[in-house]
Amino acid sequence: MMLLAVGCSFRASSVELRERLAFHPANLPLALDEMSARYGCEAAILNTCNRVEIYLARVTPLAAMTADLVIEFLAEFHRVPEAELRSHLFIHRQQEAVRHLFRVAASLDSMIVGEGQIAGQVKQAYELAQQRATAGPFLHALFQHARQVAKRVRTETGISKGHVSVSSVAVDYVRQVFAHFHDKTILVIGAGKMGELTLRHLRQLKPYRILVTNRSLDKAEAVARGCAGTAMPWDRLDDVLAHADIILSTTGATEPIVTLERWEKVRAKRTGGPAVILDIAVPRDFDPRIHDGELTCLFNIDDLKRIRETTLQDRLKHVGPAEAIVEQEQRRFLEAWHRRRNGPIITRLRQEFETKTQAVVQQLLQRLNGRLTEADRKDIEGAFRLLQNQLLHGPISALTEEVHDAGRHHTLMEALLKLFRLPE
Amino acid sequence: MGLVIPYNGEVPSDSFLDPITNMPIEKITRLCFGASYAVALLLELIQLVWPRWGQRFIGLAFGIAGLLAHSLFLAWNQPSLATQFGSMLFLAWILAVFYLYGAIHHRKLAWAIFVLPLVLGLVLLSGPLPRPGVVERSWLTSWGLLHGSLLMFAAVGVCVGFVASVMYLVQVRQLKAKVPPGQALRLFSLERLEEMNRRAINLAFPLLTAGVIVGLALLIHGDSVSGDWAAPKTIGTGVLWLAFLLVLFLRYGVHLRGRQLALLTIVVFALMVFTLASSHPMVQGGSE
Repeated sequence: MMLLAVGCSFRASSVELRERLAFHPANLPLALDEMSARYGCEAAILNTCNRVEIYLARVTPLAAMTADLVIEFLAEFHRVPEAELRSHLFIHRQQEAVRHLFRVAASLDSMIVGEGQIAGQVKQAYELAQQRATAGPFLHALFQHARQVAKRVRTETGISKGHVSVSSVAVDYVRQVFAHFHDKTILVIGAGKMGELTLRHLRQLKPYRILVTNRSLDKAEAVARGCAGTAMPWDRLDDVLAHADIILSTTGATEPIVTLERWEKVRAKRTGGPAVILDIAVPRDFDPRIHDGELTCLFNIDDLKRIRETTLQDRLKHVGPAEAIVEQEQRRFLEAWHRRRNGPIITRLRQEFETKTQAVVQQLLQRLNGRLTEADRKDIEGAFRLLQNQLLHGPISALTEEVHDAGRHHTLMEALLKLFRLPE
Repeated sequence: MGLVIPYNGEVPSDSFLDPITNMPIEKITRLCFGASYAVALLLELIQLVWPRWGQRFIGLAFGIAGLLAHSLFLAWNQPSLATQFGSMLFLAWILAVFYLYGAIHHRKLAWAIFVLPLVLGLVLLSGPLPRPGVVERSWLTSWGLLHGSLLMFAAVGVCVGFVASVMYLVQVRQLKAKVPPGQALRLFSLERLEEMNRRAINLAFPLLTAGVIVGLALLIHGDSVSGDWAAPKTIGTGVLWLAFLLVLFLRYGVHLRGRQLALLTIVVFALMVFTLASSHPMVQGGSE
């Protein structure tokens, strides 16, 4: 079995290089077909914004499959000079390649440890290889096992607990206050870019309506068009604050637009339930003193970032146990693969020996017919069986040990010494 | 469960066996299900500080075992709802079902640590209560049973309101301190808790009112075993009803919400506990 993983990731290559090596989705099938045909092997490509990785496998190593060939292919396909690529690419072989894929699938190699997207991306890479028929028995087994590893790491450790994006954390807070959103009004103040992602997350809650206000009505209308909301004039800010349930503030104001005094007046007019204010502007738009944790829940960008950092720190504590799972699964996968591959060969070997042993024994017994007792016949058969087992013990043990030594090439002499446990 | 059989302490000669433990059902005691609930609560508390996969399921298994034993105890002994002993154990049973429902349907929430202490408290409080002897004739009437049942179901509403209110206050505290959602005690949202409290109060008040009316009628009829107009339980129930009325007025008349409403609900619960305690043998210094 030969397995090769070659690629680049955010760890050792710049975003510019990754952009050049990234496969356009339309070109991925072509690249897979090309590699599989050129090198006569199984192929899969993992192509994300943070990594481009090629996995090649050959069950029977008929010819060498070197990393140089893959680098040459990448350079040719993307029209990038080879010399530029070499120092930025990683190369993993055999067990290391298995371990690398498992770590990637389990998000241990991700920019944000525990992120949930990578498992889906690994699955997509495998599915495409399956569709193009470039995934054979080895990559099929490998990627399936990688999925199980990802699942195990996710469920048995806390590595993917909590949210790490500011907008996801914001929505978590909103859900601590409100149970249903079909009757809620979201107010967007300002048109800051930072608020776009948070607004996208909030829209997924399917609120009753979205109101947008800005000092410039044109900008308010532009934002409202983008989020199926309604633009409101700036001079009605107090009125809309009194009716909004969730307020997202992203202005570029240099001073708070809603002071404590202003908010007290707004609150006196409010008849609904609590208000959740997500103030992600810098400097802050809302006076932090208005937060009371009940009728007014105010979370600014510092609060949201602090939670993100805390979550990331917590996740790092689970890396050790996750790595242990990867190690364990790597061993399991390789042992299972070798058993599957070697099992039929061992069975054939035994059958072959059995047939030959029986032939020799029968010949001998016929020659000695009449001169042996039943006990003598049994002794002779037992002796030949013992010889057969002792002869086979060496080769079968050597095949089992190959799990830990896979990919190492032996000369015929070395193979004989190893198979029959002969001293060098 | 509605049929009242005077329980005179004798064990029937034909013993039925608990299908799971093969234990004669008559040997099931409050200790059996009380201990199960206690272990379930302990495991939930441990899970908070030392989360382990499977621990919650084991706790749930103990909770289910407790509820099963509790059900068999009630089915076998059939304590009357007209007695304090019976009403406390039935109330505990209903709350145990409430706990189990929440533990299964909202298993990610810290549900058990709020509900199980109530269940355990009721089971413990029923301890010193006298086993009902031959219940007086008046309580064998439908009216006595109706009075007891209405008050018991009203108490369910008060307990649910209490649980929702305590959770609400804890959630407010977490939000005020901006505890990261991943580190906070997982509870329902403020909105959901307020709804739960509101529905519990809305349900409990009419039941309490009806129970009080039936009780008044029985007192007027002069045929009650529970005491007279000046009995602590009678006065306590009256005060409780007035407190309820006040809470409803503040909620719907003055539109009081949130933390203040939660605190008032807790006060109502405390009044209910006081009413129960005022006629408890431990407080009175003897049996009724």
